[in-house]
Amino acid sequence: MAKAAQMSPELQGIRDFLVQCVPFDQLSEAQLEQLVGAIVISYHRRGHVFHAAGDEGGLRILRSGAAELRSQDDSLLDRFGERVGFDLKGLELEQSGVRATLIEDSLIYRLPEESYRALRKKDRDFDRFFHSQRSRRMRRAGMYESGSEEMMQQVGDLMTRNLLVVAPTTSIQQTALLMSQRRVSSVLIQADSSLLGIVTDRDLRSRAVAKGLGGAQPIAEIMTANPQTISADSTVFDATLLMTRNGIHHVPVLEQQALAGIITASDLLLARRDDPVYLVQHIGRQDTVAGIREHVKLLPDLMVQWVNAGVNAARVSRVLTAVSDAVTERLIELYVEASGPPPTGFCWLGFGSQGRAEQLLGSDQDNALLIAEPVEGEAAEWFTGLATWVCDGLNECGYVYCPGKVMATTDEWRQPLAGWRDTVDRWTRSPTSDAVMRVSIFFDLRCIYGDQALCEQLQQHMLAKAGSNTIFLAALAENALANTPPLGIFRQFVVERNGEHEHQLNLKKRGVLPIIDLVRVHALAHGVSAVNTIERLQALADAKVMSIEDSRNLQDALRLIMQTRIQGQVRQLTAGVPADNYIDPAELSRQVRGLLRDSFSLVADAQQSIKLNYRAGL
Amino acid sequence: MRQLRRFAYRLRHWLRPPAAAALAPLLACWRAEGNLAQLDWRRAELLVVDAEMSSLQVAAGELLSVGWVVIAGGEIQLHSARHLLLKPEQGVGDSATVHHLRDCELEQGIELESLMQQFLQAAAGRALVFHHAPLDLAFLDRSSRRLYGAPLLLPVIDTLQLEKRRLQRSHAPLVPNSLRLASCRARYNLPDYPAHNALVDALATAELLLAQLAHKGGAIRVGALLG
Repeated sequence: MAKAAQMSPELQGIRDFLVQCVPFDQLSEAQLEQLVGAIVISYHRRGHVFHAAGDEGGLRILRSGAAELRSQDDSLLDRFGERVGFDLKGLELEQSGVRATLIEDSLIYRLPEESYRALRKKDRDFDRFFHSQRSRRMRRAGMYESGSEEMMQQVGDLMTRNLLVVAPTTSIQQTALLMSQRRVSSVLIQADSSLLGIVTDRDLRSRAVAKGLGGAQPIAEIMTANPQTISADSTVFDATLLMTRNGIHHVPVLEQQALAGIITASDLLLARRDDPVYLVQHIGRQDTVAGIREHVKLLPDLMVQWVNAGVNAARVSRVLTAVSDAVTERLIELYVEASGPPPTGFCWLGFGSQGRAEQLLGSDQDNALLIAEPVEGEAAEWFTGLATWVCDGLNECGYVYCPGKVMATTDEWRQPLAGWRDTVDRWTRSPTSDAVMRVSIFFDLRCIYGDQALCEQLQQHMLAKAGSNTIFLAALAENALANTPPLGIFRQFVVERNGEHEHQLNLKKRGVLPIIDLVRVHALAHGVSAVNTIERLQALADAKVMSIEDSRNLQDALRLIMQTRIQGQVRQLTAGVPADNYIDPAELSRQVRGLLRDSFSLVADAQQSIKLNYRAGL
Repeated sequence: MRQLRRFAYRLRHWLRPPAAAALAPLLACWRAEGNLAQLDWRRAELLVVDAEMSSLQVAAGELLSVGWVVIAGGEIQLHSARHLLLKPEQGVGDSATVHHLRDCELEQGIELESLMQQFLQAAAGRALVFHHAPLDLAFLDRSSRRLYGAPLLLPVIDTLQLEKRRLQRSHAPLVPNSLRLASCRARYNLPDYPAHNALVDALATAELLLAQLAHKGGAIRVGALLG
């Protein structure tokens, strides 16, 4: 009997299943039909092991059930459920001695080696996906970077069309007069509608006045002949490059070979009006809280622009943190202007996401005041006044009061250095759950304003106290395990069952915080003073207390979750609803869902290792 | 017992063929059986079959479609999947609501003779597998008798019987519907399939058999599975 040339329509169910599996969703109908005909199906019980050595090869996809991959030394590489495929031979190349163990009874679709190879050979995207599984696949996805939109704007949209054009015989003095009248900094010299040269303010100074050249001389004497030009459809990027390479600040712009305008270095700078540097500068110039608030209000729109322009989540959160720092700083300056200089040295501390420079929109305020020495009377009032003014101001600007009262306005969070040391000692000595919670906030501290050295002294004290205290570390580890990644029995996202966020995941609470918490435990245990989570992970790898692979995997997981979260927020803002941290997994692309699940399983593994390493102290 | 009856009947036909020419396709199939019963199931080939008919009563109904898929080397081979529609002698009647086959679709079906010929070619050298064999077999046997003058008399594995025996051994109560294909599959963590299409049901039965054999474990001779 001849082999079926065509898929029997009754096997549609198998095709429909395959297209739910990344990267089969990318294949054409014809490719899918061929695949379905090639598939063989088997069933194996829980505990069945596939060894790479001597395996018949091919790609196995779980139709039902669950499996885990382990390396030769028995460490867990991955754990997954239905719709996920694995290629033992391919994995073997990366990880010798790898094996797959079924952790549930499983129905497995296998694409035999021959068909699998043929498909990879024919379809590059398919091949690329399987070229290396999981960790590398994620790393690539975490790097969502692309060129900034601003740099892609066209020169024609930004150039000045208000051109001053003179004949080569016009006198230098006449030209200078015209430039002053028209308030332009350059003039173009043209004859018979062809561009001969350009003269700028600086040329008038250096080539005419400085050399004592008479004002009656023709302008052609001092012009730059045959100047560099650029076409109107070039980008800001091209123009910036041309200017920096040639050391020039004015470039004539041509449209269909004809002179149409001029673009200057300052035009290019203005084009970058959504550059956060300018926003921070503007905030620093405001004299009222209302004025600051007006600028902070721009943030949601700007964030949408940045994210759409391909700025990655880590950078966006750094920028948002820089803005909240600027707001805090400006509020303190305004207070000092109104109430006089501080009675003694002090340091304004930021905690939590602000401390870690990982802020996103809608962060509440977590702050404290560290005063150099004990103060009383008027001096104490100066600081109470400062705390009230800054916290109220922040609240007015949208950084709402901390629900847990972690604010400089409370006596507990406004202390002299000695008082802070005592507090830290007390917290670490008797690690009640409340104390652990406070320390975990407190450990992510950064000096926002004032005497940086004070902040460092306090941080060193904390590291010394906490790092050597195994009981405290155990309590902190316990706390770090409180939030688990939202993965069910290895495969389903655990979503909210009811309420306002039914079917949604809280990416902050169940995704970002577990990583931050567990990285903090490691950092504290090993005296790492970095506060930003990515920096901590790098420092931990540098100090060789975490493997480079583990460190990178967690960085990738964090980046991916942050990126998914920020893109969710951008979608919400674009739809005109306030941004929060919830996301409906059903709204994500299949690939992002897969990557998110990979990230969560990495976090779950990292939590396991925390459990083993630190909880022994309990 | 049933095996013995099968051999006795076949022997009788062999010795005194009613119409040797008509019997030829069936004879070829019988000869291909060889030592199938002695083989471990992973080394044998199995043909998993499901049929749809217009009535559950053999007397009143007729075959509408047959679907099958081969298990070889312990794996279901999707390239072997076939779904054949028969040109009905009467209308589909009420059963259309069950299997979604309508008269107009069946108009494009093939003749019974062509279907049986393809079926016997696929069955040669393989044991047949059904879920609830008696019903499907009754219709196939009747077709075989009509065309070749003898019933199929091929080795048959019935996943429903295997499941029933397993449940009885574990003293699980046999509640109504617990032996239906979907109920059996659910016990083995097999996915839900849309029911009532001969090929989909054949595939579902094939997966069930793999699951049953995986749970039995070890080497199993085909002979031990035959009804």
